[in-house]
Amino acid sequence: MKKAPDYEKLKHRLESSKFSGSGFLGTDERPVDEIIADDLHQMEINQIDKDDLVDLLKIYYQKIRVEIGRRVRFTDNIYGEYHESMGRIPSPFIGDGVFEKGEAVIVNEKTGETFVITALAINLIEKHDFFQGKGSRYRLDPVRLFHLFDELEE
Amino acid sequence: MGTILTGIITATVFLILMGLVLAILLVLAEKKILNYGTCKISINDGNKELEVQGGASLLSLLAEKNIYIPSACGGRGSCAYCKLVVSEGGGQLSPVEEPYLTADEIKAGVRLSCQVKVRNDISIQIPEALFKIKKYRARVEHKKVLTHDILELRFKLLDPQTIDFKAGQYVQLTSETYKGRESVMRAYSISSVPSEKNYIELNVRLVPDGICTTWVFDHMKEGQEVTLSGPYGDFMLSDTSAPMICMAGGSGMAPIHSIVNHMAEMNIQRLCYYFFGAQQQRDLFYLEELRKLERDHEWFTFIPALSAEPESSGWTGFRGLVTEALAEHFDDLTGYEAYLCGSPGMVGACEKELKKFNVEEDKIYYDEFA
Repeated sequence: MKKAPDYEKLKHRLESSKFSGSGFLGTDERPVDEIIADDLHQMEINQIDKDDLVDLLKIYYQKIRVEIGRRVRFTDNIYGEYHESMGRIPSPFIGDGVFEKGEAVIVNEKTGETFVITALAINLIEKHDFFQGKGSRYRLDPVRLFHLFDELEE
Repeated sequence: MGTILTGIITATVFLILMGLVLAILLVLAEKKILNYGTCKISINDGNKELEVQGGASLLSLLAEKNIYIPSACGGRGSCAYCKLVVSEGGGQLSPVEEPYLTADEIKAGVRLSCQVKVRNDISIQIPEALFKIKKYRARVEHKKVLTHDILELRFKLLDPQTIDFKAGQYVQLTSETYKGRESVMRAYSISSVPSEKNYIELNVRLVPDGICTTWVFDHMKEGQEVTLSGPYGDFMLSDTSAPMICMAGGSGMAPIHSIVNHMAEMNIQRLCYYFFGAQQQRDLFYLEELRKLERDHEWFTFIPALSAEPESSGWTGFRGLVTEALAEHFDDLTGYEAYLCGSPGMVGACEKELKKFNVEEDKIYYDEFA
């Protein structure tokens, strides 16, 4: 079925653009609404509350950000580090505003997993249930996030 | 059978022709009906008046008249750099603009100039400094490695051949298209001194997946021509004799480097403490130059702070965050001015610390684009 024009515009904004070189979809070829629906479905199955995830993302983003690049050790295996960046990036969803570009990176040395948390990524989840496409450097898989926070909050 | 086929062909041709006629009519109608004619743009209470053909965005019409308003998104209403005060004739605020404006800005008539369509005479306010902004054709003189992720770029200006800027200001560099990535404009502070009018130097830090910085690091070649515009910004040395605290990190070095070297050149002997934050020694640059500046000038003190330097290294300087270095050196900064350049996180943390030590909020200056 042909997608509505607004949908096409949104898809275009989520692809590589003047603001995001690799875009927000990664290598994911699924339509945006399907990406969102699949993540929500996974959250439902795993009884994950989105608001709780967003709250924890904000808390850990700030904990890492205030250290301005100094490594924050959370557990023997997990640490966070803020990668600074100048400038701001606008949300691909028109009307959301602009967000600082810095990245709070959480690394689990035991599993090798890396989570890149940005102010924009948190906004995309909070406002649009969009965790970004698979293969995107900035995708925050809700189930993996849930397990990460589970370990951090133990 | 033949008659039916002829009928189908005739109907198809008829429909195509009708479509064509309608399309032409629509284009003509748009030109006729939406012809706004010549409109006047009155700038700064009539100090300057421009005559333009209405129907296009305020941003693009000003650019046609060589008035360059900062913009990074090319007029898509998403970077919010192109704010201007529209005092009359701007029409209704669009839903695209609203999220980028504060209540105070809306009250003051601030608009995104890319979203304001000029349909009639219009009155706007433009800071005088923006009239000095020009587009430059320049040649890359060198790409010098400063650290593992910071390059120094030196450009020779070709057309125009000279630039007038204030130490602390920035330019916008236009990247070329590569590997399917669009050409973009990004802001970088000037690290060289204003007295060097034929050249501009920038410090560029590689941003993971950054469109412009990847182009600079991987594709830009020495000797090639590039486009710059500027100078932009009101981050510059104030005209006072107040003692100064400068704080920067990473490529935030650039404007402070320009400011302190300008002070040395012009014999401006204001007391100046420069705190530069980095993780490890490998992230430090211009170290010898700044140490020499410190030796040569009593008014200048340089304090690099390393937050993640290995304990085993021979580093004898300060270990910790740049904010902690400040707290170790001072407990009261009443009367000081502060000049900050770095990421929003770093600037926010420094601002908080400076206020604790009694630096007045309006005496804390930082780059608008950071």
